[in-house]
Amino acid sequence: MAIQKDRVRFNVGGKIFETTGTTLAIAGRESYFAAMFDENWDLQMNPAGEYFIDRNPDCFSILLDLLRTGELYIPPNVPEKQLYREALFYGLTDHVRSAKWGQFDGNRLQPLKSVTGRAPGDGTAIRASPDGGCCVAHGSMVHIYDWMLEEHPPINLDYQRVNDAGWVGSGDPAGLVISTCERVGRGQGGMGLFNSTTGELRYKYSVTHEGIVKSYTAGALCFNDGYNLFSSCKGRSNEYGIGVWDQNTGQQVDFFYEPPGWSLGDADKLQWLNGSNCLLVATLFPRKDNCYISLLDFRSKSMVWSWSDMWSPANSDDRRVRDAIAMEENNSICVVNEFEDLGFMDLRRESGSVRWSSRSRLMKGKMPDEPCYPKLALHEGQLFSSMNDCISVFYGSDWVLTSRLRRCFGGSICDFSIGGDRLFALHSEENVFDIWETPPSSIV
Amino acid sequence: MSSQKKANFQIEAFKHRVVVDPKYAEKTWKILEHAIHEIYNHNASGLSFEELYRNAYNMVLHKFGEKLYSGLVSTMTSHLKEIAVSIEASQGALFLEELDRKWTEHNKALQMIRDILMYMDRTFIPSTHKTPVHELGLNLWRDNIVHTIKIQMRLKDTLLELVQKERAGEVINRGLMRNVVKMLMDLGSSVYQEDFEKPFLVVSADFYRGESQLFIESCDCGDYLKKAEKRLNEEIERVSHYLDAKSEVKITNVVEKEMIESQMNRLVHMENSGLVNMLMDDKYEDLGRMYNLFRRVPNGLSLIRDVMTSHIRETGKQLVTDPDRLKDPVDFVQRLLDERDKHDKIITLSFNNDKMFQNALNSSFEYFINLNTRSPEFISLFVDDKLRKGLKGVSEEDVEIVLDKVMMLFRYLQEKDIFEKYYKQHLAKRLLSNKSVSEDAERSLILKLKTECGYQFTSKLEGMFTDMKTSDDTMKGFYAAMGSELGDGPMLVVHVLTTGSWPTQSTTACNLPSEILTVCDKFKMYYLGTHSGRRLTWQTNMGSADIKATFGRGQKHELNVSTFQMCVLMLFNNGDGLSYREIEQATEILTSDLKRCLQSLACAKGKNVLRKEPMSKDIGEDDTFFFNDKFSSKFYKVKIGTVVAQKESEPEKQETRQRVEEDRKPQIEAAIVRIMKARRVLDHNNIVAEVTKQLQSRFLPNPVVIKKRIESLIEREFLERDKDDRKLYRYLA
Repeated sequence: MAIQKDRVRFNVGGKIFETTGTTLAIAGRESYFAAMFDENWDLQMNPAGEYFIDRNPDCFSILLDLLRTGELYIPPNVPEKQLYREALFYGLTDHVRSAKWGQFDGNRLQPLKSVTGRAPGDGTAIRASPDGGCCVAHGSMVHIYDWMLEEHPPINLDYQRVNDAGWVGSGDPAGLVISTCERVGRGQGGMGLFNSTTGELRYKYSVTHEGIVKSYTAGALCFNDGYNLFSSCKGRSNEYGIGVWDQNTGQQVDFFYEPPGWSLGDADKLQWLNGSNCLLVATLFPRKDNCYISLLDFRSKSMVWSWSDMWSPANSDDRRVRDAIAMEENNSICVVNEFEDLGFMDLRRESGSVRWSSRSRLMKGKMPDEPCYPKLALHEGQLFSSMNDCISVFYGSDWVLTSRLRRCFGGSICDFSIGGDRLFALHSEENVFDIWETPPSSIV
Repeated sequence: MSSQKKANFQIEAFKHRVVVDPKYAEKTWKILEHAIHEIYNHNASGLSFEELYRNAYNMVLHKFGEKLYSGLVSTMTSHLKEIAVSIEASQGALFLEELDRKWTEHNKALQMIRDILMYMDRTFIPSTHKTPVHELGLNLWRDNIVHTIKIQMRLKDTLLELVQKERAGEVINRGLMRNVVKMLMDLGSSVYQEDFEKPFLVVSADFYRGESQLFIESCDCGDYLKKAEKRLNEEIERVSHYLDAKSEVKITNVVEKEMIESQMNRLVHMENSGLVNMLMDDKYEDLGRMYNLFRRVPNGLSLIRDVMTSHIRETGKQLVTDPDRLKDPVDFVQRLLDERDKHDKIITLSFNNDKMFQNALNSSFEYFINLNTRSPEFISLFVDDKLRKGLKGVSEEDVEIVLDKVMMLFRYLQEKDIFEKYYKQHLAKRLLSNKSVSEDAERSLILKLKTECGYQFTSKLEGMFTDMKTSDDTMKGFYAAMGSELGDGPMLVVHVLTTGSWPTQSTTACNLPSEILTVCDKFKMYYLGTHSGRRLTWQTNMGSADIKATFGRGQKHELNVSTFQMCVLMLFNNGDGLSYREIEQATEILTSDLKRCLQSLACAKGKNVLRKEPMSKDIGEDDTFFFNDKFSSKFYKVKIGTVVAQKESEPEKQETRQRVEEDRKPQIEAAIVRIMKARRVLDHNNIVAEVTKQLQSRFLPNPVVIKKRIESLIEREFLERDKDDRKLYRYLA
């Protein structure tokens, strides 16, 4: 891009703007301005020495200011949607997005908005997409929202119940993997990769057992950096365990069969551990009568660490593990019970016991009518735990409670997800989800 | 509302959809299509970027993305078809230039089209998984230009022809080549590979196959290698100028395979110029070239190594088995060292100090040095020679270099214990006759032996040095204590040697002259007085004496002679003309020793202080000896050596060998016992293997001998045979 004279005059929808080539260069190669100043074009100014653009001048003004200052200020009279549309025209959406909200920090989150869904209650899962959008699984439907919280055509799975969903690839649009229950007698179910913009099915992930394609129920999902996709699977006959597929080709690459007396195929939660190249698999009450947590090494096809509460049955009712998350930096697994007590297990010790940190006894007795099980998430050293209608943020070596996020309607939080520098929380009573984001760090 | 009353009205479906003017899309597309035409016709100056971008945007916005995209594909395709025609029409050499020009133009046009269709590229294309505009432009170029029948073949042939021309020495337009090849690479690595690289490799293989045939018939090995190296460098250079960097490995593989791998056996064995000739003539440059080229192909270096190994073994074998060479041990060893230096230099200069070749050199030397059983003796003699005189006036570093080289040869020896035997004898002689040039050099070598073979190997050698030192002190003490009693009798120097440290020789006592005997007895008294419980035995065969003699015309000389010779000469103080028998009777020296010492007194030219009748070379038992009055010499000091074969004579050799064999027996037995004590039960073959392993730093034990030793140990009830398995031995604690 060669900009001859540094001063540039635009006439946008009748309003004159004056700026410099240097400012416009910030827009980058994939923008309108870069294309316009491509040396191949013999640019023509109008007699007044201006370049005319037939667009909205108010939005242009905001975007030009964004290029000049790096900050986005949207005056109340300009609808956000309109601005996004203009940004898309000029190829500046990335600039807008990065100026709108800053790097994720659990202790600086601000509520952005609550979005109301179509049907009340019983959402299954919410998953943040890498670019700041999300999807909400609800019965056999998956609703998809982009980063502007614009709803895309929903994915309808023909009465198959959705168990989990997950985003693959950072491309625009990202793919969406959906795991569903098997429908008996139909040979359907399993998992599929969908286009998140159009909602069309790209391909299905199948389980092959001894050369025969089997129908199965896919449960929890997990992805790793090596383009593998993991899912807990329950097949018709033998195929209980964890399946592994290549994200790009959709081919099954591995299958870890469930050992006798242990549960893998029913797992609620999978988590890939980069440091140890292992997969955490947690099957939790009430899917099974007991909780099973194990670390699988697929290279050696072995279970390198395992824990179950069937070994400590005594008065464990109030100590039921409801979610688990591995924290590699601390070599530990964090678990939570239904009273939001956090517990820790040492990964370096085989079959260790849970060390509970009794924090919130007060909760006992004043549980809401329709409680939701607590969930855990980990992001950049911050631990998040949802309980009832709020999410707690823990930080530091002894996991001190540092923040609490709460909106006052929608009832208990049944699921939440962090991604694209945003946090999404799905409520159980109303089909409402909240979006929390970190404001961009102040320049002054 | 009654049911009879038929409702006769219709509810119109409420149509909310706003239909865009159906001609709108068509009109907008026309504008864009026109713009694309103008861009291809270099007429873009009249186009408004803003208008075109907006129109393309509107088409996508109003769901005409599909139309826009398919329109783009068909418009661009039709332009490319026209371009294909004009490229096809270009004559001869202009073909490539036309292709290159059109390619540049297409790229520019593509860039501009992409500029106006940027919005579609950003939104419509990813959501429909279509090919982005830029990539689409390349694909269409590939399908409509590069992969049309007329152009594809012509392009390939033209490119290959140009490469061939360049190989033949012509100058070609490399810039143009680079542009066109770059085009193929831009179209995707598979296009480059299929349309150019693969045929290029095939043609190159044919070319080099033919050329290598031609060269191998007409060139000698050195020239062939030069040419191959040149070709290889040319191809590498070609890749760097106008091919994909990834092609380098492939094309060099072709050259390596055709020019080196397929001819390497012929090259190495080429008559008068092959590897052996290069080695013999020290052709460092050619050898280096061969190494660098051959290491590029599988088994190339091992071929060189194998040929080199057999050559060194062959020449080495000739060297050590040539009976002429055996006459001069010093020269023999020097030749070994020269041979080793020669090849060492070749490996350093030409073979990149490659470990593989160093190992080959070492194993070859080990092989042939041990072919000659006298090698240990000769190496010791070489050291003896160096330490007696060879190192006089040589700097300390140079001494070290020589000693290091000797150590290197020593390492090759399998029978290190034999070397030790000889070394001890030679060292003893050097020490007793005070012939060693430098004690530092002596000690340095012993230190090297110690690091190489351990403490036990050199402890006796070190003991010899200690004895020498103590003897000096003892003599000082003796003269201080007894000096006054001795008067002006002969001066006595005694070395007290510890039995065991020194090479044992059967003591052949002789009758010492009475003057000497007195002093000797006094020393004996003194020594035993200070060291009780010891026994002294005179080793007259190892001594020497300086005597003053006055000859016929009054000239005086100092004669340096051995103790035996001194005894003989002293007899002539009392009478002239003594017969052999008289001398023998008076001195009681062993016949062989006496003959040797008489021979050197009477027969050596310039040193014949005795006269013999009859005048013959050998000493007969009936000869008579006279004091030679007429003896003359220009030196005051005359050294009369004993006629001693420096090299051992055949019987001596047998004796030494026998003694070595005897010494080995206890060592083998000790090794067997050590092993069995640790292992308790072991079969015969394993014992032999372990014993060999344990002793190989000293010598290579003969399995037959080991078997004998085992039997002896069984007799002495150290071991027993297993009752069930006769091959197994058991250790008896």
